[in-house]
Amino acid sequence: MDNEFASIETEMKRGFLQLLVLVVLEKEAYGYAMVRAFRELGYEVEENTLYPLLRRLEKRGLVEGKWEVGEERPRKFYAVTQAGRDLRRELLAIWDRQDEIIRKTVKESKNA
Amino acid sequence: MHKKLDDYLEEISHYLTDADEREEILSELRSHVLERAEQDGGDDEAVGRAIASLGRPRQVAEKYLDDRPIIAPALRRYLFRYTSLLFAIHMVFIGLAVAIGRSYIVFPFLFVPRLGIIDAVMYLPMALLADFGLVALILYFVTRSRRDVRLPWPKLALDLDRANPRTVGSMVANLLGGGIMLAIAWLLFQFTRTHGAIFLLRIRPGDFQPLLRPDPGHLLSWIVITLLLAGALEHFIKAFARSPLVRCTITAAGDGFTLLLIAAALSVLGPDMFTADVPARLHIWLYKSLVWILLVTALIVAVDLVANLVRLGRRRLSR
Repeated sequence: MDNEFASIETEMKRGFLQLLVLVVLEKEAYGYAMVRAFRELGYEVEENTLYPLLRRLEKRGLVEGKWEVGEERPRKFYAVTQAGRDLRRELLAIWDRQDEIIRKTVKESKNA
Repeated sequence: MHKKLDDYLEEISHYLTDADEREEILSELRSHVLERAEQDGGDDEAVGRAIASLGRPRQVAEKYLDDRPIIAPALRRYLFRYTSLLFAIHMVFIGLAVAIGRSYIVFPFLFVPRLGIIDAVMYLPMALLADFGLVALILYFVTRSRRDVRLPWPKLALDLDRANPRTVGSMVANLLGGGIMLAIAWLLFQFTRTHGAIFLLRIRPGDFQPLLRPDPGHLLSWIVITLLLAGALEHFIKAFARSPLVRCTITAAGDGFTLLLIAAALSVLGPDMFTADVPARLHIWLYKSLVWILLVTALIVAVDLVANLVRLGRRRLSR
């Protein structure tokens, strides 16, 4: 049962994290800063998931990354691109629709 | 500076396939570990904890790699299907190479050397691995092409009842087929008793000359008659047997017996088996044609034998 839960949770998190990253990166940020920001929001993200995800989004042109080397140590900052914003708008519309369906269905099943 | 971190990143780099990306990925991970460790005390133990929170090197590297499979999931069943079919064909040729004591080059990739029985047993695992490897290689290229390739597979009726239905039509067909085979076998038997063989040249009405020398001619005649008698017996049993299991077993036994007789026939054939009445320039051509006809027949019978064995195996499994 625990395995089943973990497996479904991982799948749910995968899509959620992509959307969350596209939302958060409206303001540029680097990986570890995002980890901390998510933690403050109550969302624990696996570090070894976030960095590869940022890389894939960058390859697909949805976010762009640039190295800042002037500070204490080099950091790679990411920001959402216009293509990322367009995709985010569509994904948020799907998110709202799915949320509405789930709430409505749960409510109806409780009343039944 | 941080040996532990250097060793960790070095191990990750072993698993990363893209050299262009490697340095950038490692730099980002290094920056992450150092910053996290700094906020956790900044000592070596903090670096160790930061590394532990990222995970094992292979696990980290795998998340960066495309999870494109070597063989697409939809094609995996073909790996076993094609390998089993190819191996069945391979086995038939190995059996023939043992039976007739000759080497074979059948397809560009299939070479079966002359083998003894022990050699053949030792050769089988290698044949299986070679077949598996060849099929895997083809499916790898199909996967890489990313095209929707529809791979062919014969529609074998693998269910016993579907494969061997007992209807009035099939009963009549079996009786008729068995009767015709029995009649031909009887005629050929009479012919062999009179002329010593069934392979004859008709020079003038009533004047027959043997096509083959006495020994191979006589033996091949008896092989043909035996094949016809076995076929007739198989048809008669199938006409009256009610159980699909019996009909399937009889067909498989018939296939096995036919393969044995084909192997026996191949062992008799040779370019020097013709009599002087056959022009010498035709000897090689006739011999090669006969060999190929028998090999193709053996292949068809072998495929039917495999299909019947699969049907019988499925029945055992379902029980």
